[in-house]
Amino acid sequence: MTTNIMLGGVGGQGLILMTKIICQAALADDFDVKSNDVVGLSQRGGMVWGNVRIGNRVYSPNIPPGEGDILVAMEPIEGLRWSSVLKEKATIILNSKRFYPTMVQQEKHEYPIAEVENLKEAFKVIEINAFDEALKIGKKQVSNVILLGILSVFIDIKVDTWKKAVANNVPNKTIEMNLRAFDFGVSIGEGYK
Amino acid sequence: MKEKEKRVLTGNEAISRGFYEAGGIIAASYPGSPTVEVVEKLKEYEEVYSEFSTNEKVALEVAIGGSFYGVRSMAVMKHVGVNIAADPLMTFTQTPINGGFLLISGDDPGLASSQNEQDNRLFAKFANIAVLDPSNSQEAKDYTKLALDISEKFQIPMMLRITSRICHSRSIVSLDERIEAEVKGINRDKDKFCMIPPGSRRAQFFMKERIEKLEEYAYDLEINTLEEIESDTLIITSGMVYQNLKEVNPNASIWKLGLIYPISNKRAKEITAKYNRVIIIEEMMPFIENELKLMGIKCEGKEHFSFTGELDIKDIEAGLHNAGIIKDKRSYSERFVETVPRPPLFCTGCPHRPVFDILKKSKAKTIIGDIGCYSMAFLFPFEQSNIIISMGASIGITKGIKKAMSKKEDNEPLVAVIGDGTFFHSGLPTFVNLLHKKQEGENMTFIVLDNRTTAMTGGQPNASSGLYNDRDDMKVGIKTLLESMGFDRVNEINQYDYKAAAKLFKEEIAYDGLSIIVANGPCALKYNIEEPYYYVDPTICISCRACIKTNCPPLRMIKYEGIEKLKSSIDEDMCVGCSVCAQVCPVNAIKSSKEINREDEKIDN
Repeated sequence: MTTNIMLGGVGGQGLILMTKIICQAALADDFDVKSNDVVGLSQRGGMVWGNVRIGNRVYSPNIPPGEGDILVAMEPIEGLRWSSVLKEKATIILNSKRFYPTMVQQEKHEYPIAEVENLKEAFKVIEINAFDEALKIGKKQVSNVILLGILSVFIDIKVDTWKKAVANNVPNKTIEMNLRAFDFGVSIGEGYK
Repeated sequence: MKEKEKRVLTGNEAISRGFYEAGGIIAASYPGSPTVEVVEKLKEYEEVYSEFSTNEKVALEVAIGGSFYGVRSMAVMKHVGVNIAADPLMTFTQTPINGGFLLISGDDPGLASSQNEQDNRLFAKFANIAVLDPSNSQEAKDYTKLALDISEKFQIPMMLRITSRICHSRSIVSLDERIEAEVKGINRDKDKFCMIPPGSRRAQFFMKERIEKLEEYAYDLEINTLEEIESDTLIITSGMVYQNLKEVNPNASIWKLGLIYPISNKRAKEITAKYNRVIIIEEMMPFIENELKLMGIKCEGKEHFSFTGELDIKDIEAGLHNAGIIKDKRSYSERFVETVPRPPLFCTGCPHRPVFDILKKSKAKTIIGDIGCYSMAFLFPFEQSNIIISMGASIGITKGIKKAMSKKEDNEPLVAVIGDGTFFHSGLPTFVNLLHKKQEGENMTFIVLDNRTTAMTGGQPNASSGLYNDRDDMKVGIKTLLESMGFDRVNEINQYDYKAAAKLFKEEIAYDGLSIIVANGPCALKYNIEEPYYYVDPTICISCRACIKTNCPPLRMIKYEGIEKLKSSIDEDMCVGCSVCAQVCPVNAIKSSKEINREDEKIDN
């Protein structure tokens, strides 16, 4: 059984660090793991995506079409965009903090509010403004760790393993704050289990 | 035996590790996606000397130097970088190898971050060198080491051909200790290393024999693996395509090539003779397919699979269905839901933003762009580039257009833009060339966008970065350099001083001759610019959208309570305080939060 985690976001949000932490946690719990990240031009505020596949034997780092188990959407439009890789009734962890793409900013396109809302009919959507919650915890930079905490509830990796992987990848001074953010995420995720 | 330490590494990190473990000493690169991280990761190993050189040609030459001294050496570049390095490569390959030599070529099927999709396996064959093609990070590490061994054994430069997907995907790698390779010292045999006739004539035979020996060696090479099942079909593949193929798991035997050039003729004939059908699955050009066809082996390939882009699981399944190997094809949803696109844009606080905002309002109708973050100026809403070809090409092209215009008595002003990284990479000779047959009345304005770093690839230092920070060592001033070349009209401007910049641009574009503007401003990302945020006073804002047109990410039109019309707004969490929006505002509706505090202080006092 392979678990396929999809991540979608906006260049600069820190998606690559997310996939790295997930990979390290999976390896530490003795899974085979492969990941993808888009790197390059799209870093500059463009759409970015990554994915992680965890299992006993993983060949391709690419998620086979329609085989996604869970989507971490770091921005609502990106949640909508990547929902097509998911299995029916899969889970979407949706950060409701919006980043407005050029076409919306230049008033050529509406922000697709209704389409994002419709995701809730087809999928199990866990919606949270991770940005605002992160500010409450201490720093906007811990937004992603809140999302990781929610994700952790749905992945067969031990909580301690997750926390070690988080602690290994954040500045020393912020470990305590990041772990609080992670625990907060776990508490949110538990409510949807 | 102690279990080996395991890590999850990207392909790029694995190559770094492999070079370190193989006893590598000299590594040089020019940053270009997808291979940037290889040399960045090498900084961790103090045994290795690594650098980002001025361009790929210089990087290759530095690595050649290491090899000539007898130490294991590596040059790392993206596929198009090999074009720049081709001159020394095509001749270096005629000499024997002293220290093992490896060229890492990062190909980009699908053009995720490149201007073309060239298949550098052909380059390797052209240069009479052998090619290894890894399919995951463990192989990326192992093949790096194997390549250096083969290089020394057969006296041949090797290419490790990797693709963007291999570079950036992570998988598990077992680590080994470093082995210090033997250092041979310089070989002063001039007949073998001075590549002018007659030595270079003899070298043709040397190269031919070398590849022939390697082709024999490939016969039972362990990294070419055969997975046989009960089937009348054989699929031949390599690299990431193999991993995608395994997900499809068709009823066919698989011959996975690790060494894709040269392929053992004898072995290929022995294996393929057992099958009715032989299908080659490879991205981009039919390289393996053509090699087999040259051997007289009947095979299929590109009639089933696209000549462009990556071959993902879905593409392989579709191709094998087309070939009749897979009977039932699943129906798939599109890769992603069609919704609002999100193209990249200049970062918040980017110094290029005011330049292209000014150019958009200027009289210049033709703008020749170049390679770097500022290539994004061709996108909506700026649309301020008419031509973008390759690194440093803007300057020569502009001269060519202008000379053609002069012959036809057309004196429309031309503007070319080039970044600091590209200026040093390959722009310098093109600027020198502008001094040749320079004519009065030929209106060209060259804008050097000096953001003090090679930004697009993640902020690597370049030749002028040392002027602006203590970490970097080179302090080549672009304006000083251009003036000492002999240009008499070079102006420097702070890009954030919008009004002064707009005035200067207007004057220089109107000037009936050659002028250069060095537009200076730090990359907001690399230099971590973060000043107090700006905000909009909606009671002053006239909804003209001058600020919105600058496309700065925190800006957008919103509805304020009690105000009918939409007014501009700034997301204070994203704003880095560059002030460009405030400077383009015609009614001073945009103000710094810092000034507010100052006013408060005054009141308090």
